[in-house]
Amino acid sequence: MVRRSIDWVKFVLDRFIWFIIAGVFLFFAVQTKGFLTGVNMVNILLHTSVLGLMTIGQALCLITGNFDLSAEGTVSLVTVLAAWMMVPGGSLEGGGGWVLHPLIVIPLILLVGAGVGLLNGFMITRLRINNFIVTLAMQLVLRGIALAICRGHNISGLPSLFTWLGTSRIGPVPVQIIFTLLAFAGFHFYLQNSGFGRQLFAVGGNRDAARASGYNPEKIVTTAYVISGVLATVAGWMLLGRVGTSSYDLGTGLTLETVACAVIGGVALTGGYGSILGAFAGVLLLSIIDNGLNLMEVNPFWIKGIRGFIILFALFIEAQKFRYKPKVARS
Amino acid sequence: METNTQKNVLLLQMKGISKAFPGVQALQSVDLEVYMGEIHGLVGKNGAGKSTLVQILMGLQQPDIGTIEINGHRFKTISSEEAIKAGVAYVPQQVRMMNSLTVAENILAGDMPKGFLGFIDWNRVYKEAAERLEKLELDLDVRRTVEGLSVAEQTMLAIAKALFSKAKLIILDEPTAALSRADIDRLFGFVRSLKEKEVAFIYISHHLEEVFEICDRVTILRDGRVVDTRYITELDMATLTKLMVGEDVKEYVRGSTYNDEIVLEISDLTRHGHYENINLTVRKGEVIGISGLHGCGAETLGKGLFGLEERGIGKVSVNGRPYTPKDPHEALEQGLAYLPQDRHRFGIVGIRPVRENITYAILDRLLDLLGIVKVGEERKVVQNYIDRLGIVTPSPNQMVKLLSGGNQQKVVFAKLAATKPSVLILHEPTFGIDVRAKTDVFSIIDELSAQGVAIIIISTEVRELIGICDRILVMYEGRIIKEFKKGDPETTPENILRVMEEGK
Amino acid sequence: MSRKVVFTLLDNFIWFLVIVVFLFFSVASSNFFTPFNLLNIIPRVAALGLLIIGQSFTMITGNFDLSSESTLGLTAMVAGLLIAPKEFGGWGLMLPAWLAIIIMLLVGLIVGLANGYMVTKLKMNNLIVTIAMMILLRGVVYIISPGSSASFFGPVFDWLGGGILFYLRFGGQSVGVMVSLAFVIFAFIIAHIVTRYTQFGRNMYAVGANREAAEAAGIRSDKIILAVYLISGFCSALAGLLTAGRMDSATPRTGMGWIFQVQAAAIIGGVSLLGGRGNMIGALGGMVLWGILDTGLNVLKISPYLVDAVQGGVLLFAMFLDALKGRYLQRTALQKVVPLKT
Repeated sequence: MVRRSIDWVKFVLDRFIWFIIAGVFLFFAVQTKGFLTGVNMVNILLHTSVLGLMTIGQALCLITGNFDLSAEGTVSLVTVLAAWMMVPGGSLEGGGGWVLHPLIVIPLILLVGAGVGLLNGFMITRLRINNFIVTLAMQLVLRGIALAICRGHNISGLPSLFTWLGTSRIGPVPVQIIFTLLAFAGFHFYLQNSGFGRQLFAVGGNRDAARASGYNPEKIVTTAYVISGVLATVAGWMLLGRVGTSSYDLGTGLTLETVACAVIGGVALTGGYGSILGAFAGVLLLSIIDNGLNLMEVNPFWIKGIRGFIILFALFIEAQKFRYKPKVARS
Repeated sequence: METNTQKNVLLLQMKGISKAFPGVQALQSVDLEVYMGEIHGLVGKNGAGKSTLVQILMGLQQPDIGTIEINGHRFKTISSEEAIKAGVAYVPQQVRMMNSLTVAENILAGDMPKGFLGFIDWNRVYKEAAERLEKLELDLDVRRTVEGLSVAEQTMLAIAKALFSKAKLIILDEPTAALSRADIDRLFGFVRSLKEKEVAFIYISHHLEEVFEICDRVTILRDGRVVDTRYITELDMATLTKLMVGEDVKEYVRGSTYNDEIVLEISDLTRHGHYENINLTVRKGEVIGISGLHGCGAETLGKGLFGLEERGIGKVSVNGRPYTPKDPHEALEQGLAYLPQDRHRFGIVGIRPVRENITYAILDRLLDLLGIVKVGEERKVVQNYIDRLGIVTPSPNQMVKLLSGGNQQKVVFAKLAATKPSVLILHEPTFGIDVRAKTDVFSIIDELSAQGVAIIIISTEVRELIGICDRILVMYEGRIIKEFKKGDPETTPENILRVMEEGK
Repeated sequence: MSRKVVFTLLDNFIWFLVIVVFLFFSVASSNFFTPFNLLNIIPRVAALGLLIIGQSFTMITGNFDLSSESTLGLTAMVAGLLIAPKEFGGWGLMLPAWLAIIIMLLVGLIVGLANGYMVTKLKMNNLIVTIAMMILLRGVVYIISPGSSASFFGPVFDWLGGGILFYLRFGGQSVGVMVSLAFVIFAFIIAHIVTRYTQFGRNMYAVGANREAAEAAGIRSDKIILAVYLISGFCSALAGLLTAGRMDSATPRTGMGWIFQVQAAAIIGGVSLLGGRGNMIGALGGMVLWGILDTGLNVLKISPYLVDAVQGGVLLFAMFLDALKGRYLQRTALQKVVPLKT
């Protein structure tokens, strides 16, 4: 009898997040006018796109047992850089005057994002500096560079070819949503079923054992950071296109939310465990809550506070998960 | 060995202890009595219940039924604080040291000598710590930090700590795993001197020779029940093993299966500070053992050959081709696999499932063009090895860390065997696994060598080596100094041990 | 060079850095080496120093408290609302300073208690919990704040944050030694005494070095960790006090972004991320280094935009050296020297 009830609890806890999402969704659907409309659903998904891409990158790094706290710095830098490179100079527009074509700029910033990831990976794996501090410091540095480039100005007037990702639609559905959903599905599938996915989990689960099994943990960790950097760049591209104006503090505060979403979705902070689908659940939850509270016209500062509270709650649940894991006695 | 337990007072009495976990009855009506000044052995296979019993005694687990009485004080449930206060100390297998702190602080942690106004008096701290170590003839600098001490030194330090925590009952859990013969002698000397002072010990070990050497009585656990509690003088090795396992267990003896084809050839391999002029050939299907004291160079040789550490300079060839791996990946590709001693650290990824762990080293053979794992083939390979090696697991998706020690070891074996290596280096393959699993491991080694794999076993379990190896090499301070052949009259455990210790 | 010398050098690396950076700025600008600037190095970062103390305490036990910047902001704002007159953003209660200070400290302790409780009793991950608290508390600050700022904290705060304790003469000039300087130095002294010379302090190190071993030695790790979070909250409140006094106002953004500098300074000062290592003298050095950097970059008129980047760069550099030091220690300690008979 005892065993049955523990299994039941385990079942609920493993899928806990989806129950919560369902519950919250119902709550808003009933409570709030305008929630259950097609337009609003699209809005929710829009919210998930930027946060979502960055969360995928964060989840990958977490699975290898590392944090990427620099992602929002990457967003900051590439958006400022892109705007600066494309917009003509002069005090009105604020660009750098290079006026490069978007088709040159986009690959360029992707390279920058990848480069940031490479640098992170290098410092963490070869120089053996703690990942938390490296990416934290990197974030400071990247934002500082962004600040130096734009000198605090906001740059607007971006070419439409660039903002395409952030603004265009296929029918009623924005392209970025399609892109994000595809990314989630693709990464989830690839992580679960590919050799690379196995390697990621192995390195995160036990780095030394992974090495003794023939893997190269340094390469794998660095790859995770590169992917995270590239995804952050794409997220920045999306965001910049959507907002239309670059500002050096674009993306502030997203880092912690990506960690929270991943944790809510079941990614273990110690590494070696988790799924991208779970991360999506986390992102979806946060987006629904944000959207719903906004519709209810709650004071934005309250929303900020509630966000923090949700993260705390998610952690509380994660901590409880370990209480119900069946303890196996081994002598 | 004097048995003066009759005239002594009963210190510990555990009565009728039962404990169940989901799906398994770990302990059933276990009684354990330890007298003051007694060294009481506790033996049993992995899974017999020794850890659980000790955890209950230390207050880390609560019994479902049963009582604990320490020094006349009866407990139904005990907290770890109460256990410590009642005078029970535990020295675990994996020694817990506070690495960044000094030796002195590790000894005196929690209650340091204070002076002026209740502030810590560091002079007295160092003085008292040094005094305590001196009494045990342990030569360590109390002002240095613990990190960097060898495992042996750390174990001795942990025991010193327990010895001085005013404990009346000390539980030693596999204390000799990393100790040399000299250290073991010293340890036993301390234990005996404390026995004089009426301190009691519970001695848990898989090394039955030691149990015979040091214990007064022994309690045998099997499948959660007490089989018997006897005076050690009434037992011999065969009877004890039989009681532990429940049936006759012969010492494993293996037939030879090698031919003349040379698989591994090492010439003049030297790594400064570790080993020198290593010359070694291993034939197809041959099993050789390398034994030596801790630090003789055998361990680093094994790791070096696998690419986990530097190899040094010299020629190595596998299957006639030069063998020059930069890392384990290349080593595996070139046909050499390595089973690490510390499987928790280097062997298994605990939170991943069995099926992933088994296929780690052969992943590239299971991937399709897009890098996706071919699930059907994987399943076949995994099931094949689960069956052949007898891995006990509820399903291939079970997390490896939930398996017993012996089965975890088999998973690592499976992983390596799957790469179809030409040379297999095993480092203490029977470390921390019980008698029955050991036999399984031996038959795995037997089968692999019959298939033509050249096997090198680096181990200090000399008796086991004699049973399975065709040749045994002894290393001393970085060199191979003697070779013992199977079947030779001089190939005895005593001779081999002597050469290991003396170096000639 | 003998090993002992190298070790001592490595352990006190922060002071080495301090001297180098100090010399750099003294040479780079003649304006740097003035009595006024020098005596102002520490007061500039006094509040930061208090946060560093609190953070170091938690780090030594192997935990993080990333919420301290928001606690600083919250306590400063609370005090402002209680003291300042209505025209200047307060609630118009015009409470006496001593009462406001007590309430501030209470708030700090409550935050510390909440953090500690979640980490020890509810067993939640300390990193994310304190980050979440950082977000949450900052939200609270925004909610209760009057829009822009609460100002005019009155003479007590002004004295604590900006007042002069006594004057020193330097060849004709009179330069003031600030109260905040003495305050923070005093705090560091107490912190050092606690960590080095009390059982509680040593227990902190034990818990950080190896929690199980500490428990086995009879140390109640839960209690220790709860205590350090309380201390951190308390220090954050004190930092809020100094900041409010120095600025004579509190805004919703007070203290925002400080957490990186606190972390960086502590780590550069030798307090290890892993716990069980580091001392308050090193942490003091971290504070001093930051003060020098701040003053120096200001004097050199470096674009404020680059200051962040420079600080990040310094942090990275220090971490790199720290990692090198770690590897050096490992290699020398574990070297198995087998005597080879040649």
